[in-house]
Amino acid sequence: MSAARTRPVLEARGAGVERGGVPILSGVDLDLHAGELVALVGPNGAGKSTLLGLLAGDFAPTTGQVRLDGQPMADHRPRDLARRRAVLMQHQALAFGFHVRDVVAMGRAPWHRTERAAADRTVIASAMERADVDHLADRLFPTLSGGEQSRASFARVLAQETPIVMLDEPTAALDIRHQEALLQVARAEARCGALVVVVLHDLSLAGAYADRVCLLSDGRLRADGSPTEVLRGPLLSEVYQHPVRVIDHDGTPVVLPVRGGVGCAPSY
Amino acid sequence: MLALAGCGIEATTPAAGTPTATGTTAPPLDEVTPLADPRAWDGPVTAVPAGAAVEPVSDTGAPRLPATVTDAQGTEVTVTDVSRVLALDVHGTLARTVFDLGLGESLVGRDVSTQFDEASDLPLVTQNGHDLNAEAILSLDPTLIITDTSLGPWDVVLQMREAGIPVVVVDGDRGLDNVAALTREVAAALGVPSRGEELATRIEREVAAVTEQIAGVAPAAETDRLRTVFLYVRGQAGVYYLFGEDSGADTLIDALGLYDVADEIEWGGVKPVTDEAIVAAQPELVLMMTKGLESAGGVDGLLERLPALANTPAGEHRRFVDMADSQILGYGPASADVLNALAVAVYAPEAVA
Amino acid sequence: MTAVPAAPASRGLAAGRLRAARGPLLLIGLLLALVAALLVSAGTGQLAVPPAEVLGSVLHRLGLDAGPLPSHPQGDATLWSVRFPRVAMAALAGAALATAGAVMQGVFGNPLAEPGVVGVSSGAAVAAGAVIVFDATALGSWTVAAAAFAGGLVTTLLVYLLSRDGGRTEVVTLVLTGIALNAMTSAGLSFLLFLGDQQAREEIVFWTLGSLNGTRWSAVAIVAPLAVVGVAAAVALARPLDLLSLGDRAARHVGVDVERLRLVAIVVVALLTAAAVSFCGIIAFVGLVVPHLVRMVAGPGHRLLIPASALGGALLLVCADLWARTAVQNADLPIGLLTSLVGGPFFFWLIRRSRRTAGGWA
Repeated sequence: MSAARTRPVLEARGAGVERGGVPILSGVDLDLHAGELVALVGPNGAGKSTLLGLLAGDFAPTTGQVRLDGQPMADHRPRDLARRRAVLMQHQALAFGFHVRDVVAMGRAPWHRTERAAADRTVIASAMERADVDHLADRLFPTLSGGEQSRASFARVLAQETPIVMLDEPTAALDIRHQEALLQVARAEARCGALVVVVLHDLSLAGAYADRVCLLSDGRLRADGSPTEVLRGPLLSEVYQHPVRVIDHDGTPVVLPVRGGVGCAPSY
Repeated sequence: MLALAGCGIEATTPAAGTPTATGTTAPPLDEVTPLADPRAWDGPVTAVPAGAAVEPVSDTGAPRLPATVTDAQGTEVTVTDVSRVLALDVHGTLARTVFDLGLGESLVGRDVSTQFDEASDLPLVTQNGHDLNAEAILSLDPTLIITDTSLGPWDVVLQMREAGIPVVVVDGDRGLDNVAALTREVAAALGVPSRGEELATRIEREVAAVTEQIAGVAPAAETDRLRTVFLYVRGQAGVYYLFGEDSGADTLIDALGLYDVADEIEWGGVKPVTDEAIVAAQPELVLMMTKGLESAGGVDGLLERLPALANTPAGEHRRFVDMADSQILGYGPASADVLNALAVAVYAPEAVA
Repeated sequence: MTAVPAAPASRGLAAGRLRAARGPLLLIGLLLALVAALLVSAGTGQLAVPPAEVLGSVLHRLGLDAGPLPSHPQGDATLWSVRFPRVAMAALAGAALATAGAVMQGVFGNPLAEPGVVGVSSGAAVAAGAVIVFDATALGSWTVAAAAFAGGLVTTLLVYLLSRDGGRTEVVTLVLTGIALNAMTSAGLSFLLFLGDQQAREEIVFWTLGSLNGTRWSAVAIVAPLAVVGVAAAVALARPLDLLSLGDRAARHVGVDVERLRLVAIVVVALLTAAAVSFCGIIAFVGLVVPHLVRMVAGPGHRLLIPASALGGALLLVCADLWARTAVQNADLPIGLLTSLVGGPFFFWLIRRSRRTAGGWA
């Protein structure tokens, strides 16, 4: 992608977040452009979800700034923001027993009473089909399995039709078929001009689908570049504190942990 | 207090001179021999007033209508018809007053405290002693309602006014000091002020006579008088209230030549009292309502449940005087009989015990 | 994606249409039932007025000289100054309480939130009781309603702040908060009982039991605008409340100004609760039972839930009040007693059921 030439859609400047005096994220500088599929990777507690929340405007940075379309996040009203970016959260919650179709339709809320509302039905149908939940349309959301809930929520995100899509570990509860399918849809969105930001744990998936990988470690942006630039054995081994091997598979990096034996827990 | 006094009023007045299940009708105080010292008496006494029969005034002049009165709340009410009257209050005083004014025939319903023979057949329009039911009242098609603020919900009274029925609200306080005034208020509303004057004078005369007799037997010095509390007890849950200033019990205690402990500790109205306050008050005599005392298991049950009370002179000597719930604080035309019966129970208990 | 057969989709579409038709049917059914209940209730009471005479009385008031007038001398007065305002009040209070329940459950994302259960009703009652005991009349006949509103608002905010943690309402926390608040408010009421004179005491006791006895048009005139504004505002909140069930963050992601919605919704709950409490006392469980039954029939969507709850609440209370004022000759049973008698066991059942089925708890 040659996205770097255009003006960034989302930018973070020295962005940091502190919670209870503990820095969760610090000094993040990031320019994100339309048409990119950006994977945020890193070990547990590296600050991936926090960065995603920051970019989504869920909370304000403690230090630095996050700008959407050149304007500080706080200047965007919730509804305008919702027309710009959609977010799939890591955990799905629903207080009442809505049908899957209704949940997907909630993604259309930002377009209520606009011209685009006319397309609601077709957009919802297409979103459900792309997330492979159209056969679940009349099921109650709380009765679905974790993976199904995740896909139904992904359909809601697609129905929102936003130029920015943010996904927080969307593949965690999915089987291989749906992992691949979801990321294919995500990449298709990026190809059609959307900025897609995905938090991923599976580095091989990041290597296969991302245009750009941002590696976070201890709340800092450790590396930012193409998958082949970032997903390198020595760097990953250091960041994850575990020996990692990276093999090239038809031009995409495949990340494999080096497996050794671990003994039983000591008994006292 | 209405919520309290309202519950469980069931006693009916016996004919004069007959022994009842709970006690003997009191003879006139001047016909019995008082104890040399009221403190010499041990044991509970039930006071039963004589003269329960309605005694209409001699004046039979027809009501002068329309009668326009300004009631106790300052509302100007014009009464045009007294053929169907409801006189309702928590004590039953108003209905009794209407009867003694000679207009008992015009009453079309009664409250739960109105239990004398002449009125007992009237339909009851209050439940639990103090709940008014609008439709039940309206179905009696009253042309005049005389009441005070002791029954509720108050909005029902206002609904009656909105329905176009003249409602005269009289003084809600009961005590010896306003019996005459209350009687005149009721009479004025009924268009019979002269009958009211006659009844008021009669009540005052009778009360004065009894009070004079009491003065003859009560200790002259205030410090010699029996330290008295009026306790309201209901049930066995340890609920007990002390009646203080403006409760109606204060004027009763004074008129009986007793020493009002509530007055001494500046106790106002009707409030729950603590065990220690009772011990500190050291009453020598306790006045109670009959049903209340019964509900607490009688004197024995009460003393067992309230050890504090047992630790007072009244408790040690079991000096409790009770009277029917519907009578003891009712005042009205029966005031003199009530005073007499209580005085006999206190100063000449041998006559009735 | 590609492997999806077409048949289930079209079947789903048909089911969806069926579901969509259920909404208007429910509303129409509830409306008809409410009208029927209002008519029966207006024609029934301790003073017997035959239906034809009730109709005649209404027609005469409307200026039509048709039908017989009530034959009982006080029949007309009874209908217009006692029975009709009371029936109207029952409908208004029922609608207000059920709507308050539906909105509260939406804001808390929890089907157990209800003004009576979590102490908002008694909070409103304490404030209104204080007005009576201290004889405050700053706002004329609106003083009690205004105090009830303030009391309800403070309690709702308290419940909200105390029972929410990290954007979620834990059921246990919510119920415990309710217990604590109910304990505090009942202490407040007891204290007021202690302070008050006879009449104030009477009114406070009357309140804690909940009753519609003694309802007058002047009270209806105060409650009606509060209830109407409250229900209308609740209907306007329906869409964002649907979205709020996704959770605070996800709701913001689809464009809901969560903080503002929450604030507005809490004001609406307090307004509706005050409308019901200021003149009828504490009538618990209406806000619990009605929205829940509606959800069972029509699903959780607030656009249907809120108007259907308003109608259902009105229907329930009109029927309950009819029973309360006719069951015992000459007496009025406290209506709050009836709703609690039915609502209490329902609450137990709801707790058990919510625990079993997914999605019931936050």
